[in-house]
Amino acid sequence: MAATVIARGNVSGVENKDFEKLAVPLLDGLYNFACWLSGDADEARDLVQETFVKSLKGFSSFREGTNFRAWMFRILRNTFLTSRTGLERRSTQQEDELGFDQTVVTQETPEVALIRRANTELVQSAIARLAPTFQEVILLADVEEMKYQEVAETLDIPIGTVMSRLARARKQVREHIVVALGEKRIVGAK
Amino acid sequence: MNNCEWREKISLYVDGELEPAAEQAVAAHQQSCANCSAAMLELQELKKSVRVAGKRFTAPPELYSSVRKQVAPKANTGRLWQWSTLAASLVLLVALALMLYSRPRAASATVAQLIDQHVTMLASLNPVDVISNDTHNVKPWYQGRLPFSFELPELAKDSPFTLLGGRVVYAEHAAGAEVVYQVRQHKISVFVFQARDVHGEPNAGGQNFVVNSWQQNGLQFYVVTDAAKENTERLRTLLEEANHSK
Repeated sequence: MAATVIARGNVSGVENKDFEKLAVPLLDGLYNFACWLSGDADEARDLVQETFVKSLKGFSSFREGTNFRAWMFRILRNTFLTSRTGLERRSTQQEDELGFDQTVVTQETPEVALIRRANTELVQSAIARLAPTFQEVILLADVEEMKYQEVAETLDIPIGTVMSRLARARKQVREHIVVALGEKRIVGAK
Repeated sequence: MNNCEWREKISLYVDGELEPAAEQAVAAHQQSCANCSAAMLELQELKKSVRVAGKRFTAPPELYSSVRKQVAPKANTGRLWQWSTLAASLVLLVALALMLYSRPRAASATVAQLIDQHVTMLASLNPVDVISNDTHNVKPWYQGRLPFSFELPELAKDSPFTLLGGRVVYAEHAAGAEVVYQVRQHKISVFVFQARDVHGEPNAGGQNFVVNSWQQNGLQFYVVTDAAKENTERLRTLLEEANHSK
């Protein structure tokens, strides 16, 4: 999805209508992100509603040239981080910054074949096991298909950090798949 | 360990973060570097898997309704106007629900998967499993591999299209054919599946790809390419004619 950048001129007396037009198409993505963050459908619903209330209130002071989607996702994430679940998660989350590790493999196909065989549930379990800082980056970059700059704006981190976290997140997802399917294959061979 | 200096650019390439010139350079390099090609393929597959699996939760209709209520401009005129607004909102909600939960949503997911298949084919050192420019070699190769048959057009000598071959692909849990053509320096993937209750989006696309799709004789065809749109139309016409009498 292409990034939406709003010029100040769009914010006028009919701003509710403008806001609705811009924000409602993001609802599915915001809800999906909220579910992943909170792990609870009811909490995700509340988070999305609160996000819409806050962003509508702040829409009149929306800064020219700001990316609207990144702004909405940032409000949602900040709302989550200040919620009870978010505070609990922040206190337990681990930062694991080991630099920009190129995660791609050195040899052809066994891993490619395993990744192709990975079913949706297995990949979901791999995403669910990621540390929050990695999970949110891979969700924004690969699921919401945000550019690095957009992810950086959403999470308020430098682009270099986006790249390193994304690389680490992908590496861990890949390893989870390879280990899970590799073990299955070994068990099956017994 | 492969220490190819290009490797660090692969993530940037797959994520579409490179400038056009650098993108072209990486694309050209991976054609001659098996390790980089394999790495690119794996990253594309991983990205695709995460994208599909990560879209796990769909907002319930009541959330749409409640959010719309929150953000809709406040009406300040008479009761009749309020009722008509309510009626219009209901119609809009029903239309939205239909739009969100019916065919276009499924079609978009299918199209996204097919674009990924096309990109994977472009990045692969072995893009097709049956290599032939002869229709009579490629078409029979699918017999026994797919639960349906289809026709491929006979290409005239002066045709701008060259048949490169084909392979079996999977999308939405169904097996189908990917037949690859070339027009000048561009490759075109023609995907053929058994038609289900999912229609494509003619002339849709993403990531700079053109997607042209249609149903014919119980089959679903998709043409995916980065070549000019008129090429997809020409190839579509040839395929439609070839399958006309089937």
